[in-house]
Amino acid sequence: MSTAALATNLRVVRGLGMRSVRQTFRRPQLIAPIIVFPTLLLAIQTGGAAAAVELPGFPEVQSFLQFMLAGAMMQSMMLAGNSGGIALAVDIEMGFVDRLFAAPIPRFAIVLGRLAGTAALGLFAAVWFLVIGLIFGAEIEGGVAGALLAVALITAAALAVGGLGAAIALRTGSASVVQGLFPLVLVLLFLSSAFFPEELMIEPAKTIAEYNPLSFIVEGVREPIISGIDATDTLVAVAAIVGIVIVGLALSARALRHRLRVG
Amino acid sequence: MPAIVAEKLERAFGAVLAVQGIDISVEEGEIFGFLGPNGAGKTTTVRMLTTLLLPTGGSASVAGHDVRTEARAVRASIGVALQEAALDPLMTGRELIRLQATLQGIPTAEGRRRADSLLERVGLEGAADRRVGTYSGGMQRRLDLAAALVHEPRVLFLDEPTTGLDPVSRKTIWEEVRALNDDGTTVFLTTQYLEEADQLADDVGIIDSGKIVAEGTPERLKAEIGNPHLELHLADGSVAEAEARLGEIGRLLPPKDGRCVMVEVPNGPADIPRVVRALDEAGIAVESLELVKPTLDDVFVAKTGYHLASEDEEDAETEPVG
Amino acid sequence: MEATATLPSWRINLATIAALMARSKNELLRVPGAAIPGVLAPTIFFLGLNGVFGALTQLNGFTTGSYEAFIVPVSMLQGAGFTGAAAGVNLARDMESGWVDRLLASPAPRWVLLAGTVLAASVRALIPATFVLAIALALGAEWPGIDGFLIAYLMVFAMAGVGACWGAFLALRAKSQSAAPLMQSGMMALTLLTPAYAPLALLSGWLHAVAEVNPATDVLEAARQGFVGGVTWADTWPGLLAVAGLLVVLGALALRQMRRTAA
Repeated sequence: MSTAALATNLRVVRGLGMRSVRQTFRRPQLIAPIIVFPTLLLAIQTGGAAAAVELPGFPEVQSFLQFMLAGAMMQSMMLAGNSGGIALAVDIEMGFVDRLFAAPIPRFAIVLGRLAGTAALGLFAAVWFLVIGLIFGAEIEGGVAGALLAVALITAAALAVGGLGAAIALRTGSASVVQGLFPLVLVLLFLSSAFFPEELMIEPAKTIAEYNPLSFIVEGVREPIISGIDATDTLVAVAAIVGIVIVGLALSARALRHRLRVG
Repeated sequence: MPAIVAEKLERAFGAVLAVQGIDISVEEGEIFGFLGPNGAGKTTTVRMLTTLLLPTGGSASVAGHDVRTEARAVRASIGVALQEAALDPLMTGRELIRLQATLQGIPTAEGRRRADSLLERVGLEGAADRRVGTYSGGMQRRLDLAAALVHEPRVLFLDEPTTGLDPVSRKTIWEEVRALNDDGTTVFLTTQYLEEADQLADDVGIIDSGKIVAEGTPERLKAEIGNPHLELHLADGSVAEAEARLGEIGRLLPPKDGRCVMVEVPNGPADIPRVVRALDEAGIAVESLELVKPTLDDVFVAKTGYHLASEDEEDAETEPVG
Repeated sequence: MEATATLPSWRINLATIAALMARSKNELLRVPGAAIPGVLAPTIFFLGLNGVFGALTQLNGFTTGSYEAFIVPVSMLQGAGFTGAAAGVNLARDMESGWVDRLLASPAPRWVLLAGTVLAASVRALIPATFVLAIALALGAEWPGIDGFLIAYLMVFAMAGVGACWGAFLALRAKSQSAAPLMQSGMMALTLLTPAYAPLALLSGWLHAVAEVNPATDVLEAARQGFVGGVTWADTWPGLLAVAGLLVVLGALALRQMRRTAA
């Protein structure tokens, strides 16, 4: 790609990206479930299961809240990805995407632009929960660097999951189908170490959580908060994110080709 | 006793006075047309008269019942087909009318019988068991009308019944409204279409910015504005001569261009033979002749200073806002 | 000629309520896949919570060793709350489309219109509740006894009504779907700020205080009885009183709001 073409593409992505971000933050009723529900759930779970820290085998934490922050961030992130998929599906249903397809812009720019909103939401969610945690007395053991790492991982994960959501939107073109996948989002999260240490989970959830890529991401986000930055955990988390990105890209590419064939 | 009476009826939304103290009187068996541009206050007025909105001033009664204190009695006497055809896309047409019958307190068996006959009457018996979501705009309006009639109301409120419909569907609705009125139903309809008010209404109220600016029969309102006039384009002969001759028949109006003569004809078409004979005797040949009657738009312009915007008006200017 | 009612008004009212309830089934039966999230979500929560927090029963304070038995009523009531809130969302959507105008312009009394919405939600809530119970029993939870079963179902029925009154109140106020997240989070807070995840004694400070005054705690305990032990009147009447109180208060609010929406 020549530098001129690259510059154009970046402009396109930026333009679509800004539209996506504006759309996301202009409608509070859409953001509320993504931020409010996980916050509510965080409060309820930390209040309800706080005694869990006394269970033998529970990792060393300052408080259950400190442990749960990563899980809350993951939940928001997954909901943001789901919502990004819904937004793209709505664009398809409305015919806006046809307008984009008819323009001389590369297809991936369309998807990337859409995902910018999702990433922004993921970033917002990560910062939100860090602030909530700090307000309610949780300490970020990894300090500023740890906080930044957590935010970066969540933002990247939002992009990755958003890519999966976009693939589904492209394939089905239906907002209600993407929305109907919301329960699936919950399932995937429950079957990970988002809300409880893997070792203490009950079978068969425990075994599934051990292999669930989401668990690897959660650990990468959680370590900086409860103990400090760990190179291995971080790398494993990044690998999991990259893996999801690759799957998302592949599915999106196929879905795009299918859409262009089928119209 | 008037079927609908409103006295100084008023509705404020915060600081905005959407309806500013209007008086209406509609006799039983009449078709009343409420004409005005978008945002004039038509829908707000209808919602007050159908007890969906409380007035903030003044009073109103429908079928002899006060809209404030006897709301339930009002609801039992009226049929309502509002601007947003309030239909459920998941129901079938038949189910919807049956539900309306139940809401009106009609026993089940009787409700079913009426639903069947109403569906036939509005030409929907073939689509009756299809979901409303599959109906065209015209079909939905017809269904809405049928549902409004299930309890044989004394007064029917139609809020912009043909907005957005194609001309054929529009004519169908008009025929149905006329038939209903022939049976004795009082009809209160709001519209932004001059032709609709002109064709259907016995009495017209023109509303603009929350105030009634004119009221009366279409004929009387138009006559107030002026007489019809003839527009003649001369093929041959002297314009001055033509004007001299025609000036004896009626008042001359300023012509549009050089070969044109415009003369008022107080008796309308009855004056045409005189005009033609007069020009013929003077040896003046006429290329074209057109009888131009004042329209309700002319009435509107005279009262408000601007045109009433509408789809079928070619010289519609910008719509007033609010 | 005015419509002359030849039936006594109580029969007309009953017929109207029945007709409104009949309409509400269209949402489930005529929209493909619409039933699934509502029916599945409580079951997913149940399975997830069990897999994630199951180890909590090791803590002192749990009177039962079976976490499934402990949280089955939570999932059932959660489903009830969401079904009720969803009825509110549907009402809001009906207001936006003008359908509610049709109801309000008819001579049907306002309480009849509200009753139709509320009872429809209560009946619908029995579906996800049955699903969750069936799964729990299949996983080995003990049958709560016929008395425990009936009380649990009664609580579900009533709680869905509470959710519907709350949702209807918000819908009639907002006249749009913008209040939907508040409907859902309100019911989530009500049902989960209780000894949902752990017994009262194990709840952390603030949650313990809230749960003690939350009427839904009594409702939950009443529904839970059969699953964790035996049914006693002493554990039942507070739940009945609490849910009746909630219905009266929220029902009155909703009715008042409905009356205000039109003359």
